[in-house]
Amino acid sequence: MSFMALRSLNLPGVGTKYEFETDKGDTVAIFFTKTGMIQMYTLQKGCNAPSAAEMTPVEARRLGNILTGAIIEADQESVEIAFSALADLRITIHTFIIPKAIAGKTIEDLQIRAKTGATVIAVCRQDKNIVNPSPTFVFESGDAALVIGESDQLKKFEQEILVA
Amino acid sequence: MEGIVLALFVCLLLALVTKYLSVPPIPFYIIAGVVLGKSGLALVANDQISTFFSEMGLIFLLFFMGLGLKLERVAANRTAVLTSGIIDLNVNMLIGFVAAYMFGFSLIESAVIAAAFYISSTAMALTSLIENRKLMLREAETVIWLMMFEDLVLIVFLAIISAGNQNPLLLFLKIAGVLAVLYALAHWGKEFLISILDRDDELPIIFTFAAVLTTASFSMFLGVPETMMVIALGAAFATTDPDAFEQHARPFKDVFLVTFFVFFGVTIDFSGGVNLLMITVISGLAVLSKFISGIITGVVIHDSALAGIEIWGNTIGRGEFSIALASLYGSPLVATTIAAVVIVTSIVGSFTAKYCTNLRKGIMHVGRRKSSPRRAH
Repeated sequence: MSFMALRSLNLPGVGTKYEFETDKGDTVAIFFTKTGMIQMYTLQKGCNAPSAAEMTPVEARRLGNILTGAIIEADQESVEIAFSALADLRITIHTFIIPKAIAGKTIEDLQIRAKTGATVIAVCRQDKNIVNPSPTFVFESGDAALVIGESDQLKKFEQEILVA
Repeated sequence: MEGIVLALFVCLLLALVTKYLSVPPIPFYIIAGVVLGKSGLALVANDQISTFFSEMGLIFLLFFMGLGLKLERVAANRTAVLTSGIIDLNVNMLIGFVAAYMFGFSLIESAVIAAAFYISSTAMALTSLIENRKLMLREAETVIWLMMFEDLVLIVFLAIISAGNQNPLLLFLKIAGVLAVLYALAHWGKEFLISILDRDDELPIIFTFAAVLTTASFSMFLGVPETMMVIALGAAFATTDPDAFEQHARPFKDVFLVTFFVFFGVTIDFSGGVNLLMITVISGLAVLSKFISGIITGVVIHDSALAGIEIWGNTIGRGEFSIALASLYGSPLVATTIAAVVIVTSIVGSFTAKYCTNLRKGIMHVGRRKSSPRRAH
């Protein structure tokens, strides 16, 4: 498979431009402007007026996550990291919102690791982050839990821990 | 002192409103200055503090311009930059000069007006490309390089006009010497500079401010104009970490430059009488001449007169550099004329930048309608 070259260009006073043409002849251009915003332009083949979207860095990262193939649900999202040097190891980090059903239980109570193989690596509670929570950590309803594992393990987590 | 506080407060409100409406703030700062100053309500007068602030504004503006110079990039794009740049320079300088001379300005005054008439506002052009989401257009790159070329020409203008009765060759040698020394300092001291810029405390900001001021104050001693000194410093620093320098110098530039614009307005003097006809004609020509140069550039670079409309629409606004020329070398009448050109073109320019794409589509549409019956056979 061959990729069209990604061209990058530093435009004085404006920022950095990245542009490439897709296999089908459409053009995508991204500008990291000096204002801190990121603009994305797409130009359909045969058209002469591009359409544009301006994004904050956070929004741009979110778009990047979507494009790399991660699943995005309403307020849950995940990132898949592939380590191609380690026999194509694929690891996914997914956020889950803790439902009322398991509020008040600890990680130990729920036997998360034993049942699913996945690990809770962080919990975000009202804009406060708890990284590497201990087994005695007590969930509250509405917590956002960051869970790491293979996609099968995460599916299990969703079905057996959250729903149970 | 109360004057400058009042002026800054008014500018704060104007900045809020113009940002909200996304129009360039520069013309409104100048108008505010005129209204508050001696031609208006006489609430604000120039004093030592405002003069100092204004000087700082100009110095930081030029330092920033120096930081943004990308000579190696210009060299890499030589043909395109030179072609469009030379068209722009010749058309606009010529029209500006002839118009000013016909209205009875002296040769030198006409040259200053022509220079201010020619130089578009880099800040306005780039902001309009970003805000109106035109960066992907082919013409956007042409506009960006055009602005870079104009910056380079401005440096030559500043050198020529500020030479005064110095021997130009001697001045040129001095400037080259200063540049060489600053480049050498930036080159050999690069690691030291970057280690300072990387710090999280107040040091990078103090260093940036002190470096700019120190360099500017050496101008007296060396007989090189301070405008040249700070541009050279900016260009030399650009070889280390220009983004960090921009970040640390921005607060000074932003505050001082606003003061510079508003006090430029304050000092505008209508007591010598205003020739409304002249001001209207020259301002109108300023819009028209960029149209002519834009269309020629469009045809030559992009093979399309319609591309020229896009170039025109984004380069009409004259701004910071025109005011800088006016304040450095203008007599009161010249300053008033240039102020009018800046106010008219920047306001017209903010509209053309928004709507020239529609205008272009409209013309294409009309063109197609006219030709379609013939094509129907």
